[in-house]
Parts: sequence; structure tokens; C-alpha cells
Amino acid sequence: MRVTFNAQNRNSTAGLEDSASRLIEFQRQVSTGKRIEKPSDDPSATLGSIGEHAETAAIDQYARATDSVASRLSVVDTVLSDLIMQMERAQVSAASARGSSKTQIQRDAAATDLEGIRDTVFGDLNTSFNGTFVFSGSASTVAPYTRVGSGPISAYAGSTSEMVVDIDQQRAVKIAFNGQLVTQGTEPQDIFAEFDDLIAAVRAGDNAGIDAGMQALQRMFERVSTAQGRVGADLRTIDEQKLRLSELRRSSVKRLSSLEDTNMAEAITGMAQADAAYRAALGAVNSVTRMSLMDYLR
Amino acid sequence: MSSLFSSLTAAARALDAQRFGLDVTGQNIANVNTPGYTRRVIDMAAVPPESNRTAGRGVDVIAVRSARDLLIERRLQQELPAERREAALADVLSVVEVALGKPGESIDAAFDRFFDAFATLSQSPSSSVARQEVLLQAESLADSFRDMAQRIAIAQRDTDIQVTSAAQDVNGLAAQIAKINETIARTGESSGGILHLQDEQSVLVRQLSELVDVDVLQRADGGVDITIGNGRALVIGENDYAVQTSVVSGVSHVFSAGVDITSEINGGKIGGLIHARDVLLPGYQASLDTLAYEFATNVNTLHAAGVGGNGGTGRNLFTFSPAIVGPSGAAGAIAVDPVVAADADMVAAAGAGAPVGDNTTAREIAALRHARVVGGSATFHDSWGQLVYRVGRDSQSASNEQQSREDIVNQVDALRDQVSGISLDEEAVNLLKYQKAYEANARFFRAIDATLDTLLGILR
Repeated sequence: MRVTFNAQNRNSTAGLEDSASRLIEFQRQVSTGKRIEKPSDDPSATLGSIGEHAETAAIDQYARATDSVASRLSVVDTVLSDLIMQMERAQVSAASARGSSKTQIQRDAAATDLEGIRDTVFGDLNTSFNGTFVFSGSASTVAPYTRVGSGPISAYAGSTSEMVVDIDQQRAVKIAFNGQLVTQGTEPQDIFAEFDDLIAAVRAGDNAGIDAGMQALQRMFERVSTAQGRVGADLRTIDEQKLRLSELRRSSVKRLSSLEDTNMAEAITGMAQADAAYRAALGAVNSVTRMSLMDYLR
Repeated sequence: MSSLFSSLTAAARALDAQRFGLDVTGQNIANVNTPGYTRRVIDMAAVPPESNRTAGRGVDVIAVRSARDLLIERRLQQELPAERREAALADVLSVVEVALGKPGESIDAAFDRFFDAFATLSQSPSSSVARQEVLLQAESLADSFRDMAQRIAIAQRDTDIQVTSAAQDVNGLAAQIAKINETIARTGESSGGILHLQDEQSVLVRQLSELVDVDVLQRADGGVDITIGNGRALVIGENDYAVQTSVVSGVSHVFSAGVDITSEINGGKIGGLIHARDVLLPGYQASLDTLAYEFATNVNTLHAAGVGGNGGTGRNLFTFSPAIVGPSGAAGAIAVDPVVAADADMVAAAGAGAPVGDNTTAREIAALRHARVVGGSATFHDSWGQLVYRVGRDSQSASNEQQSREDIVNQVDALRDQVSGISLDEEAVNLLKYQKAYEANARFFRAIDATLDTLLGILR
């Protein structure tokens, strides 16, 4: 076989370019820490990487939603605890006014106490979080109950439909509650009307009215307790969800890393090999181009 | 006497032949790096004796020829267009895949931010900040789509410009080859000067093969006839038939003698550019358009049914400007509805019939993140991923194919070099061979001269 000058040069150049490009690729991987620079480096891994980025972003969003919902439900839980306490206080006040031995002054004092409790309940039910009322259902911009001065408390103005927020693809948690379900349930009138009737009964010394009012307070107590139980269950779900999301994120980031990131041990070894190959190619070119019969014709 | 003089003549002829050998060797060494140069080989033959009383009349040079293998050159002309086609495709696609951006930093990230904004709005449906964020992210996503569509359109336009420019290069090469044909025909095949013309011709045909797939027919006089496409004349003898480019449906088509031959060109740089411009890039653009269209349509359907912060309803979030029919052009035209963009309260968060403050629509739009609505089976992220995968796979395939074709071209080049290339070692041997032969013939000349002197001395 004839070995020509051009063939030698071409092979030498091709060999040098090949080993130099391998060296540069390993250097890039080591310096950037990324295995993939462009989709053609590994189309399948790029596709997987896009999926994992989307997965991570969705998990992060659900994590933020979970935190936000947890804060809101903590507020709701606090309000419901207060409502329970108010119901208990109201029971005590109403009971203190019951009986024929009570004087008008004592009954008026109890009535005044009950008015205060009613106002506190009114305030509790109008609690808002980040500008939205938590007991107005989906009409979260509307106060559930209103009152002009010291006038009567309005009927429920919120929505009977409740509002939920997704904390996962398949899981949603209630963030705005139907206040009417708490204050009235299936009763003919809401707790504020019951309070008004009870206060009137207390002032009048109407023991039967007081008994009816106390029973209404008890039913309200039970409704609030039920609601708080649900909120507690949701808060526990949220705690579990936080852990789950954290696990999901860890595994997603791990998958993403295996798709995108450089295996440093492999890359550094590869770089050392490519460097040695490049130096060897340079040496080979040097010795091949130096050799010629011309050198011996003197 | 006469035979001694004949020997002197034979020695002089031999000296001339060996000197010519040295001359050819020198020419070969001088052109060791000249592209297209083919090794010159000197053919010598013994000059037969005039009578049976003499051994012969020495040696003579009967020809200098190029060491050329036409089959190998033809093979090269067949392989080069395929290699250059893939190289052109790889070049175009490398630009496109960079334009697509990295995972998690391109349209996919804009999708995430958009859905995040609606998810945040679903947590605080009355928040004006959350509504503004939705608008901001919607505009950012529309911008991303338009930028991407424009980048693909620019790649398509640049490719089109390259097609026109390469067609002009084809015409330039065809004209030069025709000129060489003319010179070869005029010079005549027997002339030694034809060899360097054929070398030049070989370089030009190679350059032409890199641009477009051609059929090369060897002419009897040493010139070449060249056709492109389905046998369309490009060079016939001393005539070249220039191809023309003309804009058809917004892109440059190649014409030969008034016939559109764009679809007949498959190989070479032009073949690759045309394939990228007319098949691959429009395919990517169509996928992007479908994605933008499906996205806007799905969001709009939910948004128009929802209720805004001001109680308004029936308003699309996205519009297309200019207006489009079907998905075509959607990515380049998508924009946030200007009425909604001017008033964040027009962003719908509440569900149909629900009071202001509800979050049903915001939730539904945020949940589109996971909805398999593109083509009925893919999420928006899936659809984007498939587009990126397609570009990456096409680019990788073109690069691999180009590498494989380049290896074949290198092998054929090596074969050509084995026949036509210059081996400095071989030339060194030839140099020595002709030098020694020259020295020997000079000695022979001197010996005959001395013999003649002896003979003439007898007569004194």
C-alpha cells in the first residue's frame, strides 16, 4: 500500500481533532458540572429532564400551597377554639341567670355578658386571612355577617359553597368555610338570633327561653366542635403532605441530577485519558512528520 | 564509427530521459500539498535498434500521465453529497437546538411560572397582586412563544439565504468547469498540459459535489458533462446552464431551464438546506403552533367561563394578533388580550355563577398543568419535551450520519491517495533512481567518447 504525504497529514489532523474534541468535551462536563449541554447530547435524557423540571416545579408549588393552607387553617383552628370557648362561657352565663332566685340586676349582668359573647362570636366569624374572609365560603371577599352600629347582626351574606385549594394533584383542602353551616346548620335560625332570644329570655327571667337558648348554644358547640375536628384532620393531612412532598422533591431532584449532572469521577477519569490520548496523538504526529527518506539522502 | 556515434546519440537520449524523470519527480514533490494534484508517472520505452548490428538506440519518454482512478473519483462524487447534506442539516439544527434553550429555562419554565401564578391566585382569589402576577406570567409565556417562533423563522430565513447563495456557487463552479472543458477541447487530449487542467477540473467537480448531487459523465476529449436533479443539464461541453432561484411560497426554489427542480435536489449542502428549510423547520414550527394554540384555547375556555375580580365574565385571557385560523401561526401571534392586560380585575378566578372571591376557575386553570389536552394525550410540558426531543434527535442523527459519511469519504480519499497521492519516500527513491541512472548514462557517454578518441588516435 502506498502511504502518501497527504494521507499522513489527513490522518494526523483527524486524530488530533478527534482527541482534542474528546478532551474539550470532558473539560466542559467537569467545569460546568452538566453532562448535557444541548438536546442532541442525549435527546432522551433531555426529554426526561424537562419532565423532571416540571415535576419539581409542581412539587414546589404544592409545597407553597401547603404552607399557605396550613397558616390559614391554623387561624381557622384558633377561631374555632375561641368559638368553643365562647359557647362554654355563654352556657355558664346563661345558667347563672336561670332560676327564680336571680335578681333583675343579676339577670341584666348575665345578659350583658351574653351580648359581649355574641359580639365576640360575631368578630370570630368575620375573621379574614390575607384579605379573604374564612367563613364566607366562596364569596371570600364578602363579610359573612355585618352589623350597623349596635344594631342587629345581619343574616349570613357569604356563599354556601366552600372553597378549596389543591395541595396535590389529587388532594384539595378547604380554605374558606360556609359560615352558615357553623352558625345555623339545619336550625331554623342562626346563632345570633338564638343569642338575641336568649338575651331577651335572660332579661325577662324566662327559664324556658333560657333552656331553649342553652340547648341552641349546645348545638352550636357541637357544630363548631365537628368543624374543628375536620380542620384538625386537614392539618394532620397537611403535615403528612409536607413530608410526602419533601420526599417527592428529593427523589425528583435525584432523578434530575442523574439525567443532567456530570458523574465527576467518570468525567475526570475520562479527561485524564483524553489528555493522555491528545498528548500521544501530538507525539505521533511529531514523529510521523519527522520521518522521511529525504532525510537520509545526503 | 557510425554505431559509436549511434551509441553517443543513445546516451544523450538516455540522459535526456533520466533528466525528464528527475523533472517529473521534482514536479511531484513540488505539488505534494497542491489540492487535486495527481501524481505524474513517466512512461519510458527502449528505442528499438535500426539493424541487427546494434543493441538498440537507448531509451525515450513516450508519455507522462496522471495516476488517476476514475472509479474512485466517481465514488467520491457519489459519497460527498450525502456527507455534505448531513453536515448542512447538522449546522442548521445546531442553531435551532440552542435556540430552544435548556430544560427548566425555556418555555417549560414559563409554563411552570404561569400555572404557579394561577395556583397562587386560587389561594388568594381577591389579591390584586396575585392577579397582576397572573398577567405578568401570561405575558411572559406569550413572549416566550413569540420569541421561539421568531427564532425558528429566522433559522428558516437564514437557511433560505444559504440556498440562494449555494445556488450561485453552483453556477460559478459550472462556469469554471465549462471553461476548462473548452480549454481541454482546444488543447487536445495528447497534450501534456491537459493533465493540470484535469486536476483543476477534479477539484471543481469535488466542490460542486459538496454543494449538490451531480452526475458526471467523462467526455472522450478529457472534459466532463454534468447534470443535476433528474438529468438536468448543468455543464455540457463548453456550455454551462446556470440554475436560477426564484421565490415560491415565500422561499427560494431552484429552477433549471425554467423547471422547478427543488424537489429533485436531495444531496449536497443545498439538498440538506432544502430539507431543513422545507421539512424539518416547518415541522418544528407546526408543533410549536399546535402547542401554543392548544394552550391558549384550553386556558381561554376556562377563563371565559369564569368570573373576574370585577364580576366580568366571557373574556379570553389570550388572543392571537394577527388573527389566525386553526393552529397555524399561533406561536407567533399569541398575546394576552389587551383588555385583560389593561385591567387585572378582568383576570377570572371565580367559577361560572360563583361569587367574586371564589377560586374555581383559578384552580381549574392551575390544574391544566397536569391535563393531557394536547392531541388528547400529552400535557403542555410533554408536548414541549417532545418538540425538544425531536430537534435533539434530528440533530444527533444528522451529526452521527455526517460522521459516518465523513468516515466513508475519508476512506475513499485514502484510496484516491493510494493511487494519485504523492509519497515523499517514493519520490525520494525515484529521485535517487533517476539521479543514478543519469550518472550511469553520463559515464556511458564518457566511455563512448573515450572509445571514439582511441579510434581517432589510430588515424593520427
